[in-house]
Amino acid sequence: MSAAANPLKAKSGPAAMPFGAHAPSVTLPLAFILTGLLALCAGMGWLVLQPELLTTYHYNQYVIAVTHLFVLGWICSVIMGAMYQLVPVALETKLYSERLARWHFAFHVVGFIGMVWMFRVWNMKQVGHFGSLLAFGVGLFVYNITRTLRRVPKWNVTATAVAAALFWISFAVTAGLSIAIAKCSYDSTEGLATAQGVRTFVNGLRSIAGFLSRFDAIGAMHAHAHLGGVGFFTMLILGVSYKLIPMFTLSEIQSKRRAACSIVLLNISLTGSYITILLRSPWKLAFALLGVLALAIYGWELATILRARKRQTLDWGIKYFLTAIVFLFPVSALAVVLCWPGLPLNTFTGQLENVYGFLGLVGVASLAIMGMLYKIVPFLVWFKRYSIQIGRAQVPSLAELYSARVQALGYWMFLAGVGSTCVAAVFCSEIGVRMGCGLLALGIATLVFNVGLMLTHLFRPKARPFTLQTPPVPTPA
Amino acid sequence: MTTITEAAILDTLRQVIDPELGCNIVDLGLIYNVTIADAKVAVVMTLTTPGCPMHESIRWGAQNALLGLDGVEAAEVEVVWDPPWHPSMMTEFGRAATGVGSL
Repeated sequence: MSAAANPLKAKSGPAAMPFGAHAPSVTLPLAFILTGLLALCAGMGWLVLQPELLTTYHYNQYVIAVTHLFVLGWICSVIMGAMYQLVPVALETKLYSERLARWHFAFHVVGFIGMVWMFRVWNMKQVGHFGSLLAFGVGLFVYNITRTLRRVPKWNVTATAVAAALFWISFAVTAGLSIAIAKCSYDSTEGLATAQGVRTFVNGLRSIAGFLSRFDAIGAMHAHAHLGGVGFFTMLILGVSYKLIPMFTLSEIQSKRRAACSIVLLNISLTGSYITILLRSPWKLAFALLGVLALAIYGWELATILRARKRQTLDWGIKYFLTAIVFLFPVSALAVVLCWPGLPLNTFTGQLENVYGFLGLVGVASLAIMGMLYKIVPFLVWFKRYSIQIGRAQVPSLAELYSARVQALGYWMFLAGVGSTCVAAVFCSEIGVRMGCGLLALGIATLVFNVGLMLTHLFRPKARPFTLQTPPVPTPA
Repeated sequence: MTTITEAAILDTLRQVIDPELGCNIVDLGLIYNVTIADAKVAVVMTLTTPGCPMHESIRWGAQNALLGLDGVEAAEVEVVWDPPWHPSMMTEFGRAATGVGSL
């Protein structure tokens, strides 16, 4: 028996473990991701219990609370955790500081849980306090990734999109905090100004509140939501997919100019959209159309990348992601309709707004993230458990860490859930929304099950001794 | 003393998989060159894409596998990007295993 057949007899490597040159410890992104999954389960459970949240107009404390649970607890947690892992490896650089990232995690978790709770009881002063904690964490995140980006050896379209997303998330958080200040400072400033520093601070808050009172509250909320939804989530989906889709499908970017054009146009569109939504200007239609053009160019490039792929079979993770991209079509169509000048605000258009937000957050962002989680979590688990054993024992592939059958089942349940919830929301059917969200919850349960399967490898690794099996040598033609 | 052959080295490297693609690095066409000098083996290889998250793991795995081969006292694995990898470098087994169509 050769040494290769017995991992115990294999000689040790000549150098220390070379891993981690680019990526941080896997426990950091895993902590963010598991937090995100818990928030997703809580958020979907909430919608099943209170389906009326999707059948009434969204400007109320419960909808705002559950939206922040999805946006901050689920989407931001996963994206930020994944970025600490992916940005260094995708851009071939090293994370600036893992310690800052750990502090970010603490501020993020305390901040978003407190915010959701305080939105629910509508205590805007405490929303501001917890929001400040969250904003401090976001500040650490932005600083950390910005310093990481400065080390990128070759700047490309993905790096540009990540940089833009950092700007927009900073803006979104600032805008959100300002809205909270505008809603509470008049009630809470009286009698507080006893010292010079406090007086200056409170006067500053009062000035912000005074400035924001010039705009209507719903317009400010919608503008803030677009900064996060389009500026952070959509920007990252576009930018990161230009790197990951070619990597996973064995293809390459077909036109760098087209890819850059989509990112530039999306940034211009968002700048204009923010201002025109805030001012309730009819010009918002023009900027929405510009955004649709950016997405169309992105879709064109993505389709070209896929046509040029060498790996014909698309795995379910990629199917999840690409289906999320397809959902950008109805979301874009709804955006154009809802921007139409003179559109009356009645029950039907209010419900269309609900569907627009739901489809954007659940159909696009959540489905895209679920697809990418099927790439990221197996990688993290494999890296933690098997990277030291590769070459010494027979290790499983990433696809062998979970059940593709359960993954496919989850895909169809989630798709059915998105479709039925949207239809039920348009027709204000609480029973329909509850059933639709129930299907979504089952789809999410399949993801949780598979993540559980992956995590079992951390405690019960399935590496086996080598069995020398040479594959059949192809016969020359 | 065991004689080290290129065929034995390639067989050994077939134990190392690219975990994302689920196929070994030989049939993926990642091995560019093998040099044997007494008990020292040097392998030049590539990866499917620059910035591959598995870069260090796969290189480390190849080195581990070579050091586990009878007769090998030292192993060196170098990752290069020129020429860039292309699916046409895969064997038929590799194409079948990864779902790459005919080229």
